[in-house]
Amino acid sequence: MSRAMRTRIYYAILWMVAIFFFLPIFWILLAALKTDADILAVPPKLIFAPTLEQFNKTLFGRGTGISNTIPYLVNSLVLSLGSVALATVVSFLAAYAFSRYKPRATNFLMFLMLSTRMVPASATVVAIFQMYNAFDIGLRNLGLISQPFFRGFPGVLLLYTMFSIPFSLWILKGFIDGVSPRYDETGFVNGASRLHVLFKVVLPQVRPGLIAAFIFNLIFVWNEFLFNFILGGQGTQMIPYALAVGLVNAGGNIDWGYVAALSILYVSLPVVMIFFFQRYLLVGMTFGTVRGEV
Amino acid sequence: MSIIELRNLAKRYGRKTVLRNVSLTIEPGEFMVIYGLPVSGKSVLVRLLTGLEKPDGGQIFMRGQDVTRMPPGDRNLGYVPQSFALYPHYSVFDNIAYPLTLAGVDKTRIRAEVEQAARLLKIERFLDRRPDQLSGGQKQRVAIARGLVKHTDIFILDDPLVGLDFKLRERLIEDLKVTQEQLGVTFVYTTSEAVEAMQLAGRIAVLERGEIVEVGPPDELYLRPKRIETMRYVGFPQANLLYGQLHRRDGRYWLSTSLFEIPVHQASHAQESIEEASQAEVSVAIRPEHIRLHAASTDSAVSFQAKVLLREDLGGEEIVYLDARGLQLATVLRSDEEEALQIEIDQPLEVCVHLRDIVVYAADGRYVARGG
Repeated sequence: MSRAMRTRIYYAILWMVAIFFFLPIFWILLAALKTDADILAVPPKLIFAPTLEQFNKTLFGRGTGISNTIPYLVNSLVLSLGSVALATVVSFLAAYAFSRYKPRATNFLMFLMLSTRMVPASATVVAIFQMYNAFDIGLRNLGLISQPFFRGFPGVLLLYTMFSIPFSLWILKGFIDGVSPRYDETGFVNGASRLHVLFKVVLPQVRPGLIAAFIFNLIFVWNEFLFNFILGGQGTQMIPYALAVGLVNAGGNIDWGYVAALSILYVSLPVVMIFFFQRYLLVGMTFGTVRGEV
Repeated sequence: MSIIELRNLAKRYGRKTVLRNVSLTIEPGEFMVIYGLPVSGKSVLVRLLTGLEKPDGGQIFMRGQDVTRMPPGDRNLGYVPQSFALYPHYSVFDNIAYPLTLAGVDKTRIRAEVEQAARLLKIERFLDRRPDQLSGGQKQRVAIARGLVKHTDIFILDDPLVGLDFKLRERLIEDLKVTQEQLGVTFVYTTSEAVEAMQLAGRIAVLERGEIVEVGPPDELYLRPKRIETMRYVGFPQANLLYGQLHRRDGRYWLSTSLFEIPVHQASHAQESIEEASQAEVSVAIRPEHIRLHAASTDSAVSFQAKVLLREDLGGEEIVYLDARGLQLATVLRSDEEEALQIEIDQPLEVCVHLRDIVVYAADGRYVARGG
């Protein structure tokens, strides 16, 4: 078999696999643009008049299971952007400290941080639920809060921040290790403060790491369902919750239009992020050890 | 009054002592080179001088003031760190301007100062570039310019030419020397290159295993160092070392080696008495260029027989390895010298050394005597 022929066969197989995996997404994308009748048509309609009706119904609610999806979208955006931003700041400072001061047992501490991410969520969620509950009861008894604090927005935000720190720390420590301490020292000898060195000298040099840490954790928080479902109240739920609850409409049928439209909205942020920042994603997945690309 | 004074500085890391008893006085306008092999403690000394680390003992005075505990930024030093450390996210201009920007100097003056420093180091064409668009030598010039732009009288340069190619070093050495003279400021410069130290220094301080073993002007350090280690480290090819005995005869001291017997006298700045040294075997050092390939023509020189082992052509000069009664000696000749043209491998010949060029060290490595 000639070389060119072989290459062609490889490509054919690759395309087939790619199409196979892309088909469900393609179906969802088409369904989101169809009317309810078109979605359920047998045989499936490939040629139809596209409409934004499903998005309209999903976002603003016209008799579907969940009347209004916008709060869930807002929660998703605020919780993921907020917690990841917070985590990135904290991790940057922690990574600098680990990298420059090399406290005793640095490697062990770094491992310990990461190990929190290796425990399955279901193993810890009940314990955290109990802890959060106890905190809230304690705070209420002290008269400090009237609304739940931990079992509400701040608590979920904190949890997501905590969960985003280990990866960010690993990624950023790798990057800061790559910034020679000579840079810091040159600053100090010329009269710069620690803060100046942190934010004007080191930070600009680890920007790819910050982006990688941010994107990587953003996708994680964006996809998270279990912790929020158990710990948070009604007011903290995000798109995965809306998808699960809105799946069945008032009539007891699966609302395919709603699922399709919301799924498209749901994946669009990660898709855009991955499209623009895929090289940073590689950095994230290797904890910052592979940095050549960025 | 001295501008920098180090008194009994000591530094330990854990149980490892890296500096002990370092005392040094540096005069205003002096080009002081701290010379030492890698891991001799040079970099630690620089870190103490700049204030990046605090000593475990001793004091540092600058401009008459005790700065031992003063933070680095308050010491008002120009600093050229090892390995450039140019900020990759700044342009060359901003890099050079950095010390002035931090000091809050106004923009028009910064521009003037940076341009002046850039002209001095011939990098004015690169001001708009980023450091990663520069060659190694250009980066080094930028780092030096950034160090020099600061308005101060003390500049610390931590092995700034390490890793640069030979030709570039030669050029930068020239520039550094001229710059220091023009500015009339004090340079403290560390290096592990003996040649570089010799070329640059007003005075050299030799640091060995965390101690300053001697301080002096380059020629003195080269010809008659107080320590045999200095004799060994400084200069290429290495000084020839042989063993001998000192003994007293007819009211004076004589040195006998397997090659010659010559009269010696106690050196004026000797650190040990010749009488004490004569108790044990002594080391004898002869610089390669002091071995001449012809018989002695005066009483103040000594001759002996040798055979040519090997010739190594370095371009302008040539190293000739000799075998003298089993001892291997190296000598350096200019390639255009008459003798260089004539000698052949295995050729026996008579060589001579002036008595004053024969330097004697006691068993513990201290300078005691010289020939003559």
